[in-house]
Amino acid sequence: MSDGAGRPPAIQIFDVKKSFDHGLVNALNGVTLTIGQGEWVALVGPSGCGKSTLLHLLAALDSPTSGRILVNGNDISGLPSLNRYRRFEVGLVFQLHNLLPNLTAIQNVEVAMFANGLKHSEQGERARNLLAAVSLSHREKVRPPGLSGGERQRLAIARALANNPSIILADEPTGALDSASAETVLDLFRRIRNERGVTILLVTHDREVAAAADRIIYMRDGRIVEPSLAAPAG
Amino acid sequence: MYFVSLTARNVYTRKVRSSLTGIAIAISIAVVVTMGVLTHSLRRTAISILRTGDADFSVAQKGVSDVIYSSVDEKDVDLIGSYEGVENAIGVLVDMTKLDEDHPFFLKLGIPPGDLEAFGVQIVAGRKYEPDSQTEIMLGYRAARDLGKTIGDQVVIDDDTFDVVGIYSTGQVFGDAASMMSLVGVQTEERKPGVVTLVFVRAVEGANLDEIRARIEYDRPELATVRTESEFGRIDRNLELISAANIGVSALALIIGAVSILNTMVLSVFERTREFGVLRAIGWSRMRVLLCVMMEALVVSLTGAMVGVGAGFVAVEILARSPDLVGVFQPDYPGGVFGRALAIAFGMAFVGALYPAARAALLRPLDAIRHE
Ligand SMILES: Nc1ncnc2c1ncn2[C@@H]1O[C@H](COP(=O)(O)OP(=O)(O)OP(=O)(O)O)[C@@H](O)[C@H]1O
Ligand SMILES: [Mg+2]
Repeated sequence: MSDGAGRPPAIQIFDVKKSFDHGLVNALNGVTLTIGQGEWVALVGPSGCGKSTLLHLLAALDSPTSGRILVNGNDISGLPSLNRYRRFEVGLVFQLHNLLPNLTAIQNVEVAMFANGLKHSEQGERARNLLAAVSLSHREKVRPPGLSGGERQRLAIARALANNPSIILADEPTGALDSASAETVLDLFRRIRNERGVTILLVTHDREVAAAADRIIYMRDGRIVEPSLAAPAG
Repeated sequence: MYFVSLTARNVYTRKVRSSLTGIAIAISIAVVVTMGVLTHSLRRTAISILRTGDADFSVAQKGVSDVIYSSVDEKDVDLIGSYEGVENAIGVLVDMTKLDEDHPFFLKLGIPPGDLEAFGVQIVAGRKYEPDSQTEIMLGYRAARDLGKTIGDQVVIDDDTFDVVGIYSTGQVFGDAASMMSLVGVQTEERKPGVVTLVFVRAVEGANLDEIRARIEYDRPELATVRTESEFGRIDRNLELISAANIGVSALALIIGAVSILNTMVLSVFERTREFGVLRAIGWSRMRVLLCVMMEALVVSLTGAMVGVGAGFVAVEILARSPDLVGVFQPDYPGGVFGRALAIAFGMAFVGALYPAARAALLRPLDAIRHE
């Protein structure tokens, strides 16, 4: 399976299971899913259904108990360097922004760029461009505690884009935001998808947020289910 | 942003804590510098006595508190001179006096004029003193130049006036900065008849030095032979003690500094568990996390060390001016002391930061991100 340009799908997940506590908790019970290049997918489901767990597996922060995950055609269990994968292949956005409070906005972007092959001046240049892309140029020297919730989340997105990843993985990126801020963040996702062709997997409780995506996938009890079977999310 | 800027920034963020750690390190380093300069300066004075003549090794009384108090019977000089393999043994009575503020340790060597050549002394101007003269003196050419004296002039040492009859050169810096007069003259003046301080021994070509030394120490157990500076402690207990204290102080400083660093860095890593988890999740390697913590420790310890070296300087200068020590202690700042301070600062950072850095590096990113 490949897209028109002959590239493999961005993400292919084959019967992935994940259990915790020696099998006492089955967070994922056989997930199979394919996401195309440049596609924006929202993952919806009730609390505890395994959304974050799936995202962590995709970010190579954890490994599945069984099953296979291919990213851009490569099995991520056989990666030569997890660090390189986390740095160059995927960009992570968390519910809580997880920025470094003592660094300025631009430094928070640059912190992801050490030893990425760019010259120091090029790193600064790219960080500035990313701040412009998320409309934070005027806040370059401000530290996260001085930013609003929406601004922080936009900054987190800029950091996720620091090394030009092909995939953005976002876990409840609007969960802590009011609806106006959430709207600007969603606009931003739309724009980076359209302008950069980035593939986005966005986890949310919120069906309105999910509606902004190209496709919505419903999860329940560690499985992907038909929309009709998904419980209404809170 | 450079990596160093990031680490400096992290240190700066914890100003109070970093400063307190830095102060502990500065004090330790200041003590290291002060002790180092003190030891070096005293050692230099002591070594200068050994380095006045040209010999294969020296003999002195064993275990005296200061080499200047060594007392060797002139008969033993003859005995050593009679050993097989010994070319000559020259007994020298050393008197150390304060000439003036600039010359707190002026050496006067009592040595028979007949032994001067064997001792490596060349007369560059004038003549030798008479064998039993108590008023004639020769100056080393450095001393003469330094004091502005020449043949025919007089010098006053310890209220006694001496006539300069010759200028000599030994090729040894310390010897050339000293003075020489007849052995009998110094013995009379010091009320030490028949006694010398040191015996300078020269062996014949190809003789086994160790054998000769062993024989001397066997025949005369109260004597010790010294060949190198490191053996000097055998005939100068004070120097040995202060050298040991110096090493002890350095070791203590290293431990105190390392524990201070350990304390701050453990705390700082614990507080930033989540931060390190995030950094690992966005692609930082374990190595970079390790380096980050290590470099923060290094920034603190090197800054502390810089302040400490400055404080050490001040302490040394104050010591040198204290009425009790004027003349006894003339500070000399060898590069080695600062090298050691720097090495200790690096050691503190490395030893102290190793455990917290390893902890931070070994965190599982997911656990760290969940950490509250
Ligand atoms: N490290 C872990 N150890 C034990 N159990 C875990 C661990 N991580 C997740 N779980 C369990 O796995 C299940 C799925 O958790 P997950 O965080 O993926 O849910 P979620 O869909 O993201 O929920 P939420 O919407 O509340 O964020 C839950 O029952 C959770 O308790
Ligand atoms: Mg979750």
